[in-house]
Amino acid sequence: MTVNTGRTVDRWISFNVDDNGNVLRTIPINSINGIGLPYDEVDLTAFMDAIKGVLPAHPSCVITIGGPFDTTAVAAVGSLSGSHSVLYNLPGPRSVPLALDVRIGINHAWESGEPTFGITGAATAGFICLDYQYAGGGLYAAKFGVFAGSTAPEWNTTAHA
Amino acid sequence: MAGRTIDRWLRVYADGYDLSGFSRSIGPLIRTYTEADMTCIPDTVKGVLPNHATLGIGTLNGVFDNTASNGLHVLMKGAGVMRTVMIPIGIQAAPAQGDPAYMGQFEQKDYMAETAEGVYATIPFDKSSVRGASLLYDQPWGWLLHAKAAETGVNAANGFADLFTPASTAFGGFMVYQVFAGNGTATLKVQDGTTAAGATTDITGMTSGVIDCATPKYGLVAIGRTATIRSYIRWQIVFGTATTVTFALALVRASN
Repeated sequence: MTVNTGRTVDRWISFNVDDNGNVLRTIPINSINGIGLPYDEVDLTAFMDAIKGVLPAHPSCVITIGGPFDTTAVAAVGSLSGSHSVLYNLPGPRSVPLALDVRIGINHAWESGEPTFGITGAATAGFICLDYQYAGGGLYAAKFGVFAGSTAPEWNTTAHA
Repeated sequence: MAGRTIDRWLRVYADGYDLSGFSRSIGPLIRTYTEADMTCIPDTVKGVLPNHATLGIGTLNGVFDNTASNGLHVLMKGAGVMRTVMIPIGIQAAPAQGDPAYMGQFEQKDYMAETAEGVYATIPFDKSSVRGASLLYDQPWGWLLHAKAAETGVNAANGFADLFTPASTAFGGFMVYQVFAGNGTATLKVQDGTTAAGATTDITGMTSGVIDCATPKYGLVAIGRTATIRSYIRWQIVFGTATTVTFALALVRASN
């Protein structure tokens, strides 16, 4: 298929994150907070300024997701792995951070050339999982933050692996 | 079975009692880390590192029931105590061997009778208890080795490779057992091996010891943080004076 441009719906969003062995997996989600890099805003307005003035400081990126609790065995990225099978031992300290990639297909399953947001995993770059919980009703919730000292997540049109 | 599920297939065991028949909801079942902001001046994005984990099972909501010996009111009205809890989650069926289970030892903070047409019991739990058997593990998720059922003989079945860590690990783990009924003494334990048929070796230290199963028993038994658990695992029972024991047994295998 060719790369699409235009508008889309969340049916075509896939959430991909490393498992505990740093192998990228696709897990089922039914919610995700706004993804992006909001900057802290430092107000530098002086008394005599006519208007308020700011400069951006550090950006941050916290990603929270939710979805169906699922124990399906792990599968190659692009096919759904069980959420619990990937997330159950992901939270906490780790020496190698996690690759994470949100892929937004445009009116069809994502393919290279369509938007992505994330970080390609490296020894000192990526995300860490800060929370994983069974939220009741057959659903889970999880939270990811950027590993200290990492490069920033980015919008791109190729996969982050 | 693997796949998605609903709360209908969740069970709640605490201190040797099956509370499922009185429970309406429980949770959330958390594993949450405090975050230390480690951002430095030239960093391109804010970064964090995880610090201590918080484990907890949230609030148990159930029906107020004073059935003698096993009603929720009779068992749980005394707050301010530690509870040894196992919450297996069946996948579209009652929990079975290999299904995930959340477990640990938590402080019961309160017991409140409340009304909303019916009379209900609200039982909030606190974090892990320092009165517990171990504070070594920040992993509460394991899987069932033995679903709640009566056994009258030893386990001659092969071991199984759990879904999540199909290889030997060297980070220790712990087992939780809930004995609901029995008629004498027995010992519960976990065995491992490098092949399914060879899962016949007792994991050192992972045993209940001899317990009198005539009354409900429970426990969390942790082994060393660097202990090896081999690929295939299974439950085992050694009968003393008992000829039948009804129990559930689950294992957490730490993976890092």
